[in-house]
Amino acid sequence: MTEATIPAQFSPPDAATAAPPPASGAPGAPGAPGSPAAPAAESRLAGIGRGLGRWAAALGAALVVFTVLLLAKGANPFTVYADVWTSTFTNTPSIEQIFVKAAPLLLGALAVVVPARAGLVNVGGEGQIVIGAVAAGGIALAFDDKLGGGLVVVLMVVAAMAAGAAWAGLAALLRLTVGINEAVSTLLMNYIALDILLYLIYSPWKDPDGTGQPTSAELADPAKLPYLGMSAVHVGFVFALIATAVVFVLLRYTTWGFRLRVIGGNPEAARRAGLPVALLLLSAMLVGGALAGLAGMVHFAGVEYKLRTGITTNFGYIAFLASWLARHNPLSVVVAALALAAITVAGDSLQLDAGLPAATVNILMGLVLIAVLGWTARRKSGGNAR
Amino acid sequence: MSSLAVDVLSGAVVGGTAIMFAGLGETVSERAGVINLGTEGCMLGGALAAYAATATSGSPWVGVLAGIGAGAALAAVHAVLVVARKANQFAAGLTVMFFALGLTSLFGAAYVGRQINSLDPWDVPGLSSIPWVGEILFTHDPLTYLSFFVAPAVWWLLYRSRVGLLVRTAGEHSEVLLVHGYSTSTVRYASVIAGGGLCGLGGAHLSIAYSNAWFENMTVGRGFIAVALVIFATWNPLRVMAGSYLFGAALALSPALQARGYGINQFALDAIPFVVTILVLAVLGKRTLLAAPDELRRVFETRTA
Repeated sequence: MTEATIPAQFSPPDAATAAPPPASGAPGAPGAPGSPAAPAAESRLAGIGRGLGRWAAALGAALVVFTVLLLAKGANPFTVYADVWTSTFTNTPSIEQIFVKAAPLLLGALAVVVPARAGLVNVGGEGQIVIGAVAAGGIALAFDDKLGGGLVVVLMVVAAMAAGAAWAGLAALLRLTVGINEAVSTLLMNYIALDILLYLIYSPWKDPDGTGQPTSAELADPAKLPYLGMSAVHVGFVFALIATAVVFVLLRYTTWGFRLRVIGGNPEAARRAGLPVALLLLSAMLVGGALAGLAGMVHFAGVEYKLRTGITTNFGYIAFLASWLARHNPLSVVVAALALAAITVAGDSLQLDAGLPAATVNILMGLVLIAVLGWTARRKSGGNAR
Repeated sequence: MSSLAVDVLSGAVVGGTAIMFAGLGETVSERAGVINLGTEGCMLGGALAAYAATATSGSPWVGVLAGIGAGAALAAVHAVLVVARKANQFAAGLTVMFFALGLTSLFGAAYVGRQINSLDPWDVPGLSSIPWVGEILFTHDPLTYLSFFVAPAVWWLLYRSRVGLLVRTAGEHSEVLLVHGYSTSTVRYASVIAGGGLCGLGGAHLSIAYSNAWFENMTVGRGFIAVALVIFATWNPLRVMAGSYLFGAALALSPALQARGYGINQFALDAIPFVVTILVLAVLGKRTLLAAPDELRRVFETRTA
């Protein structure tokens, strides 16, 4: 299967080599984006400095445009900023919310990072998160009144990760067997996942004692994810940090991670070197899907407790963008996820304090990304000839 | 039973129109080698601009033009990021989608619940009285009639005109353009922006002809459906037309069945178009891949970094 099917995915070698600057061409090449193999310590410091400068400039430019738009709308931007700042960053519940929202975003972003290392584009985080939440919800309905809380949590984690992995793995199999591009199939499968969720909560899993809203019955208290200390942040964020560390180590220090990078750089070369390309691509996608599935579980058992329509609120897509902001670096992803989570929380403040629709913050998110994507490209001088 | 078929097919035609316009726009863009996941955003922008302009000016046709303009403007952002800045096309498209979602909720709040002078259905004299066919095809709003001409026109433009040749060359072998003294960037800018205009027109159809209302995120995934549709239709405008009616029929089927008292879970039906798309892609397999413009295929296979 390996030998016969791979060439169909990767058109002739010249197309592969003409592709933009191989992230991986030479592992550790200075400036190779996303390549964690760092050169000397001082140039890494310089890199961090440049990175911070880039972020500051991007945020600044985005804020300027956002200010103009607020003025155009007739709102006083300075009052708006002051209010949003006060209610987002100076009170504990809001700061806790940022960490709560960051947990699924971080896991969802890692679900993009791992396949990206092998050159795969996973746009299906949204669907994989939904399927993870559905699997966790199914376990909850079946067992949360029969088994102990801790055991249910473990079962939910396992089921959600398996479901997410299966959902993403299906996309990988479609690519490896019949040649459907994974960016396309994962995107389509997002909608199928959503329809599965809606189907379940509108009929078979609908809470018979509910208020008539299409939701599943609430998760039993012992199976809800516990909070950290006295805070309102549930342990999902810790799960996400552990996952980040594991992904970092796997990608950087294991043969598997190295091989993924080789495939991401030049699949044809990897194939000729005798790497099991199909198996590695599949594994990258499975790991990614499992991480997204975990994101769904964490959001379900830590925040929502019920399956409902709109449970993910675009987390998968925001996570995709977080991964791009961090240029698929598993450590920078933490910062990107927290930043986008903060923007999301600021949206709620915007609605409460300034009376503007919460979705308005998507403008700010879009502007930041436009600025960052523009900047990223300029640094890749000359590459990417298409 | 016949009236069920007529209901569904008629609903498919009018419900598929917005998806068709967006799909045609996406086809033009992808034929030039640029995939635009911001289609959803361009449709939203078009829907709001059309609604707002109609409310302000009183003329739905001004609204149509505004919708086209807004879709084109948002696509221009994508074009700058992708063509000039060489950003990743998937990331740039999603960025535009979120940007438009934010913009339309900020500026759209004032228009929720406003009454407008919408584009009302107009029965084509004579043709609309043909049994079945008349009701299915000729009892709709003017933009739906327009779509009957736009799809073949886009096909003609792409395959029979000089402009279309340039667009397709940009998508297949951009270096050939260079050799002949054309600028690939210019061709791509034009294609992406024109495609965005068509997406905006699709959005305009939603707000001022189909729903006659504006509400936040009113496209609910139609832009992504359009992206899927283009692949389903193997980048051919006429197949996009046929495919949009298929998707439209799937959307129209469950309300039609429910109206007749069949207890059916609409979400099972909603998933059909997506499952069918994947199945078609699986069956066509490599043929689909071969039908993709070369430079677009390169985008899909681009190493992420």
